[in-house]
Amino acid sequence: MNARTPQEDVKIRVGYKALPGQKGDRLEERTVKPAAGDAPPWDAMTQFALVGSDVDRVDGLAKASGRAKYSYDVTFPGMLQAMILRSPVPRGKLTALELDEAARMPGVQAVVALKEVGNKVRFVGDAIAAVAGVNLHAVRDAIERIRAEYDREEHNVDYLVADDAPMVDEKGAISEDWPADEGMTAALLEAKVTHDATYRVEVQTHSSLETHGGVARWTGNDLEVWLSTQATFGCRGELARALQGKKIDVGSVTIHSEFVGGGFGSKFGAGIEGLALCLLAHAAKAPVKLMLDRFEEHTTTGNRPGALMQARGGVDAEGRIVAWDWRSFGHAGFSASGGSVAVPNYYTADAKVRRNHKDLAIDADPPRPMRAPGHPQGWFGAELFLDELAAKAGVDPLTFRLNNDREQIRQDQWRFAAERFGWAAARARANEPGARLLRGVGLSSARWGNLGNPGRPAHGITCRIHQDGTVETRSGAQEPGVGTKTMLSVITAEELGVDLKLVKATVGHTGDPSGPASGGSTVTPSLAPAARHAAFLAKQQLCELVAKHLGVPAANVTCAGGLVGLGKEQLRWAEACKLIGPNPIDVRGQRFANYDSKPFHGSQCGVQMAEVEIDSWTGFVRVTRMFGIQDCGLVIARKLAESQVLGAMIQGVSYALHEQRIMDKRSGRMLNGDFLRYKITGVRDLPELECHMHSIANGHDSVGAAGLGEPPSVASAAAIANAVFHALRAPVRHLPITPDKVLKALAQKG
Amino acid sequence: MKPFSYVVPKDLAEAAAAAAQPDTVLKGAGVDLVDRMKERLQTPAQVVNLLPLRRELAGVARTADGAVHIGALTTLTELEQHAELQDPALQALRQSAGMTATPHVRNRATVAGNILQFTRCWYVRSEAFHCLHGGRGPTCLAVTGENRYHAVLGWLDCVRVHPSNLAPPLLALGAEYTTTLAGKERRRALAELFPAEPRAQNPEHTLLPGEIVTALHVPKQPAGARSAYCESREKQTFDWATTACAVRVVLQGGKIAAADLVLGAVGPNPLPRPKAAAALVGEAPSAALFQKAAELAFAGANPLAHNDYKLTVGKAIVRQALDEATR
Ligand SMILES: Cc1cc2nc3c(=O)[nH]c(=O)nc-3n(C[C@H](O)[C@H](O)[C@H](O)COP(=O)(O)OP(=O)(O)OC[C@H]3O[C@@H](n4cnc5c(N)ncnc54)[C@H](O)[C@@H]3O)c2cc1C
Ligand code: SF4
Repeated sequence: MNARTPQEDVKIRVGYKALPGQKGDRLEERTVKPAAGDAPPWDAMTQFALVGSDVDRVDGLAKASGRAKYSYDVTFPGMLQAMILRSPVPRGKLTALELDEAARMPGVQAVVALKEVGNKVRFVGDAIAAVAGVNLHAVRDAIERIRAEYDREEHNVDYLVADDAPMVDEKGAISEDWPADEGMTAALLEAKVTHDATYRVEVQTHSSLETHGGVARWTGNDLEVWLSTQATFGCRGELARALQGKKIDVGSVTIHSEFVGGGFGSKFGAGIEGLALCLLAHAAKAPVKLMLDRFEEHTTTGNRPGALMQARGGVDAEGRIVAWDWRSFGHAGFSASGGSVAVPNYYTADAKVRRNHKDLAIDADPPRPMRAPGHPQGWFGAELFLDELAAKAGVDPLTFRLNNDREQIRQDQWRFAAERFGWAAARARANEPGARLLRGVGLSSARWGNLGNPGRPAHGITCRIHQDGTVETRSGAQEPGVGTKTMLSVITAEELGVDLKLVKATVGHTGDPSGPASGGSTVTPSLAPAARHAAFLAKQQLCELVAKHLGVPAANVTCAGGLVGLGKEQLRWAEACKLIGPNPIDVRGQRFANYDSKPFHGSQCGVQMAEVEIDSWTGFVRVTRMFGIQDCGLVIARKLAESQVLGAMIQGVSYALHEQRIMDKRSGRMLNGDFLRYKITGVRDLPELECHMHSIANGHDSVGAAGLGEPPSVASAAAIANAVFHALRAPVRHLPITPDKVLKALAQKG
Repeated sequence: MKPFSYVVPKDLAEAAAAAAQPDTVLKGAGVDLVDRMKERLQTPAQVVNLLPLRRELAGVARTADGAVHIGALTTLTELEQHAELQDPALQALRQSAGMTATPHVRNRATVAGNILQFTRCWYVRSEAFHCLHGGRGPTCLAVTGENRYHAVLGWLDCVRVHPSNLAPPLLALGAEYTTTLAGKERRRALAELFPAEPRAQNPEHTLLPGEIVTALHVPKQPAGARSAYCESREKQTFDWATTACAVRVVLQGGKIAAADLVLGAVGPNPLPRPKAAAALVGEAPSAALFQKAAELAFAGANPLAHNDYKLTVGKAIVRQALDEATR
């Protein structure tokens, strides 16, 4: 490869080659103009050595063997443990707070107030004060000695009876009239078949295995925090500001977050626990660890909100959707925000469309983003609605999707998935009359859209090549277990043409170049091009050293396949690196803006299909198999990409069948805030899972990657709900689909 | 956890002596007990660990009279896999042990601990609530609160359910239990381990302070005896049953000559249903008969606001257990 920087226009091929078993490549030509100094673009024709292959997760062994140290594992000599006193009152005011007795308890080193007398208390679990001491038993004893008093106000934790909640009939359907809209009324009147139904989903908690919290250590005015977070840089700023707000003189703040035990959207902020940790460490003049317990994790660190959703719509004689009316009510917490719901828009391009959403406040912990915020909820409602509408119109659900879906990529995906899954045969199979076990299949689309955080040149990657031939790639952004280190390693090794084993990726220390929060599937599309650029720059420097050594012009030196040189004069990588000397090649790559030209596609498409088997006697639903096809732009590490998709499907099974926060209305307290009663799908409940990664060259930057956190988690619950509808010939319109609801649906069907 | 003193006895006599001291609890594997202690729901001054007595108190053996002796500290895994229990008459016991919790819980949990585990009611298992149970509060919070996993049958003032998997099959098989207290051994019918009136103020079992369960005994089963255990749950692992049924039938000449039927997870005690069992006697197995027995098993049910599904599900489980036992 030529190591010169292309600055003129480059012609590339974007799109994708025909999916296995299909005919016709969907390739287009684009002319792009890379930024000065950037690496030349990869495209649909690039032959990769490593990218897209089945490499192992680079830190898999460290994690499986316990060598990976999470914030939870960090300890220091003299480190104290800490806990937070939480409000037992869902709504009211703090009227007294006496900390002295707690502070005098044996083993206690610091006590800080997190609320002042007179402050509002917003939910059960609102943080009141925190204690640090020699061990958790001493701390807990002290917590019990804090005297906090409250002026209790009337509360409500049921959004269905919140002030702005719509009227709902005894079957759970919204019974309030739709707001007037002449266009909509006309469109519905013209439709041949119409349908109107209400859907509901319950609150799901993120349930990260590592809870929120960390360890803080002050050295003079300088603060280091080992934090379980999805946003190292965001938390650094947040903590610095919050501490200054408490009149604490902060020199520097450094966040360390090398390994994070999951976040799913709940760990963007350091939160009150992060602040408490730093305040306690400051007051105690000792390192402090504060990790939330499982109940706090369930009840104070956000959730995927529940929602009540209603759809009505109609199709014309050709089975095309002509009207689509939607309203939803989000189960927000006290903040009255964050409960919104997203629905697919690619089925209704020619329809009269209306969408309304309202968040309803309750006295509980507010939502936080969770894997494709709003999407699994809305797709469940919308896709089940579509299946009900299709059934009324007498159209097969797949045909119905093919008739209405306006995205070419998904058209191919629908056909591909149907073939692989055996849709037609499975759909046609009827359950024997009187059979105890009922089978059914269902499908759903998915979409999530963005191609990274372009135009943030501050996002960068450090690449170092050492004289022993090892390579470092470093980002200050974190990795909550999704594969970022593997992605950085693969990109770097590919660009340098070296063995993956030589590359070590390190993430999570804010001393390294900044990167985005792990949210919205933005990290890979943001950092992959920066990692490539860094490796590209480092390679240029190495080529220059080799050129000088060989006495050839640097411009023509290549670095590929473990060899650096020109023509027959090639040095092995290890030999070439010896030229580097004691100071490594040390460069910083940046994230250039996306190319000006239009990308092949600006979002990610997917399709999932599910099969269920239902015990009609007990109402027990078992998902027996699922298939998914998912696009994530360029597939960088296939096995990890598949793992993201399969993991999302598992989470989808759990969302569809098991998970729900159960609140005690009288006390405002969660009743199942542990892992015994908060039910998460276990191994025996898992279906056979399969997925196909659909690699697409979008041609938007030098790499062409898109993220994969959210896209695969949109469709699963919807596909399962549709399979349940098919099996029962009656819809269950309320997640999770627990046995009681299945039995009710069967009873109502008669 | 609150500090406590920990007794590691050398023999049963030493354990019994320690157990007789005030504010003392017995620990089997501690799967249930330690959880409650960590949450400070139980804060004893002294804990007597029974596990060092495994040599005396664990293991399964056939006795001279053909009965099966099960040591109190036998693990659920041992019970599930033991050669002496491979008899179709004892199938229910193996099935119920094998369906409990997860493999790693079963590898630790003891038979006595399983039967004596505390109720799962989410009100009484949280320090934040004070309900009628044990006189901690004025009323039952579940009866008017969230009760999808609570009782539908046989409840009085406390709608908790008895969560043990092993209790229903042991009752159906006519098991007895032996205890030791103040140097005296007693052997009684297993039904006597559960309170005659499962009220909120009564403990879930009738053991006296310091009384140690040392063994369970399953009597020799008649020729033609078969048993089965089935349960419904929302998840297939890491979960408790929502309803359960153990049945034992004696088949003679294609007819049911004797039957026992016990429900689990639907009432504050494991519930023998003699009327349902009686309806089976003298009849040939059939779907219609099982349906009738299932109806009788839930006769007099009194479901709560959120758990009437347990009636439909529970009846299905009864039918399934009968079907499996007579197949
Ligand atoms: C995830 C999970 C899922 C579970 N699912 C199920 C399920 O599906 N079905 C089910 O039945 N259980 C289930 N369990 C509960 C588990 O089976 C019990 O906690 C376990 O059997 C208790 O046994 P142990 O030996 O640990 O008892 P311990 O916790 O040691 O003791 C329990 C109680 O029995 C008393 N005790 C113990 N031994 C004696 C004795 N010899 N004499 C007198 N008193 C004694 C103790 O004092 C204590 O009060 C589950 C548990 C978990 C964690
Ligand atoms: S069921 Fe029993 S234990 Fe549960 S709240 Fe009611 S009284 Fe308390």
